[in-house]
Amino acid sequence: MRPIGEPVQLNWSRLTTIATVLVVIGVLGVILGLVAGQPQRVWLTWLVDLLFFMGIAQAGVVWSTGFYLTQGRWAGSTHYRLAECFWRFLPLALILFFGVVIGRDYIFPWIAHPVTNKIKAHWLSAPFLLTRDFIAIAIMVFLSWIFIGYSRAREAVIWHHQPDTIEMPPVPIRRLAPTLAICYAVAYTLFAYDLISSLSPQWHSTLFGWWYFATIYWGAICVMSFTAVQMRRLLPSVNIFTRPRVMHDLGKLVFAFSVFWMYLTYAQYLVIWYGDIPTETFFIVGRCWHHPWMFLTWMVPVLLWVVPFTGLMGVLPKKTPKILGTIALLGIIGVWDLNYILIVPSLSPDKLPLGWIELCITAGFLGAFIICAIPGLKVLAEVAVSDGLETSNEAAQH
Amino acid sequence: MSSDIELVGVFTTDDQCAHAVEQLHHVRILGFHTFAPFPSEKIAEAVDEVREWGKSPVRKWVLAGGITGVITAIVLTVGTSWEWNLNTGGRPIASIAPYIVIMFELMILFGVMGAINSFFILSGLPSFELAPGYRTRFGADRFGLVVRVAEGDDAKIETLMREAGAEDVVREAA
Repeated sequence: MRPIGEPVQLNWSRLTTIATVLVVIGVLGVILGLVAGQPQRVWLTWLVDLLFFMGIAQAGVVWSTGFYLTQGRWAGSTHYRLAECFWRFLPLALILFFGVVIGRDYIFPWIAHPVTNKIKAHWLSAPFLLTRDFIAIAIMVFLSWIFIGYSRAREAVIWHHQPDTIEMPPVPIRRLAPTLAICYAVAYTLFAYDLISSLSPQWHSTLFGWWYFATIYWGAICVMSFTAVQMRRLLPSVNIFTRPRVMHDLGKLVFAFSVFWMYLTYAQYLVIWYGDIPTETFFIVGRCWHHPWMFLTWMVPVLLWVVPFTGLMGVLPKKTPKILGTIALLGIIGVWDLNYILIVPSLSPDKLPLGWIELCITAGFLGAFIICAIPGLKVLAEVAVSDGLETSNEAAQH
Repeated sequence: MSSDIELVGVFTTDDQCAHAVEQLHHVRILGFHTFAPFPSEKIAEAVDEVREWGKSPVRKWVLAGGITGVITAIVLTVGTSWEWNLNTGGRPIASIAPYIVIMFELMILFGVMGAINSFFILSGLPSFELAPGYRTRFGADRFGLVVRVAEGDDAKIETLMREAGAEDVVREAA
C-alpha cells in the first residue's frame, strides 16, 4: 500500500535526550520530595500524573477503536497510527501504579479514618481497591496490546486505504474494538470512583465516572491534534497533515467533544445544584468558591470549553494549524489542571501545594510518556508521509 | 438580463454531471442548478464544493433564530419568576442555573425554525411551476445541469459540458 519514497529523517535522538532529562528531573523530584518530608505532595502528584498520562495513552487507543467503529477512513492509516502512538505508556503505567500502592496511606484518607457505612467500608478496603484497580489496568493493557497488533496487520492497513468501499473492518477488529471501548468506559468509571471520588469519601455523584472518562477522551484528541500539528511542521511537506481537510477533521473532533464535555459537566452540576444536599455541594463549593482553589477550578471550563468553542467555531481556525495546535495545547493543560483540582483539594482544602515537587514529578511523567511514544511517533511519521504521497498520486491521476 | 441564455446539459451518469459542476467551479460560475433521478452523493459533494465560494445566507437566519430563542427564554423564565415571586427552597427567585437549560433548548428550537424558514424562503418554495430547464427524463434515467450564462460565454460553457461527458447541450432563452 505504501508508495516508494525517501525514508523519513527526523532527529529523534534530540527528543529522546530531552525526555530522558525530564525523567531524571522527575526521579530527583520524587526522591527530594520524600527526603524533604513531603510524602503526601509526592504521592498525590504521582496519582494526578498517573491518571492523566495513563488516561491519555488509553483514550488514544479508544479513539482508534472509535475510528474503526465509525469506519473512519478520512486519512488512510495515519489517524489510526496517530491515536495509537502513545499506547506503550500503558504497560509502564501498570508498573507506576505501585507508586499508588506505596503511597496509599498518604493518598486515601479512609485508611486512617475508615468510613462508618458498612457497605462503603467494604468497598473502600485498601487491598480490595488496589487489587481490582491493578487488575483493571492489566486487562486494559492486554486488550490494547492485542488490538494494536490487529490494527497494524496487513488486512487492516488495506482496509484503511479503501474508503470508497462499504467493507467492514477485519473480523478480529470488529469484535475487539467494541469490547475495548466498553472496557474503557467500565475501567475508567472504576478509577474515577476509586482513585478520585474516594478521596472525599462522603461525596458521590452518579455521573462522575462517565464524565471523567469523557474528559480524558477529549484530552486524548487534544494530544493527537497537537501531535498532528507538530508532525505537519517537522515532516516533509508531502505529509498528509498538510491537507486542510485532515486538520479540519481533527478540529471538528476537538470542537464537538469539548461541547459534549460541557454538556455532561452542566448536567452533573445542575443535579447537584437542584438537590442542594451538603454531602454533594461541598465538593463543588470548596473548589469553585474558596481560595486557593478558585482560580485553578475556573480555568478548567475556560480551557476545556470557552476557548475551544469560541476559537474553533469557524472552518478557518480548524484548518489553521497554529490556532488548532494552541487550543489543543491549552486543552491538554486544562485536562491536567482538572485532574489536579479533582484530587488534591480533597486532602489539602486550604492550601495550594503547587511548587517544585509537582513540577518535577509531572516533568518526569511527561518524559516517560514521550520516551514510550517515540516508537509510535516513528511509525506515524512514516505513515503520514506515505499516505500523503498516496493522496498526491491519486489527485495527480484524476 | 435579456442577453442571458440557459444551457441545459444532459448527462448519462452522475459522475459526468459532478465533473461538469467541478469544471464550472474552476471557471467560477455559481449560477446553476442540477437535476437527478435519485439523490446523488457525488453531485451533492461537487455542488457543496462550489458553494464554498459563496457564503450561504442560511447562517444569518440560524443566528437570528438562536439569539431570538435565548432572549425569549430569558423573558419567559425570569419574567414569570418575578411575576409570581415564589421562593422555592431558599433559592433566588430568578435561578439562572436551571433556566440555562430552557435558554439552550429555545436557542436550538428557534435556530432550527430559522433554518427551515430560510430554506423555504430562499428556495422560493412552495413553487407550483417546473424549474427552468427541467426535462421529464431527469426524473427517469438522465442527469441535468442548467447553467445561466451571458450570450457571449455560451460556447465556452457548452464545450466545458461536452468535455465533461454531456450527451446533449440545449440552449434556451432565459
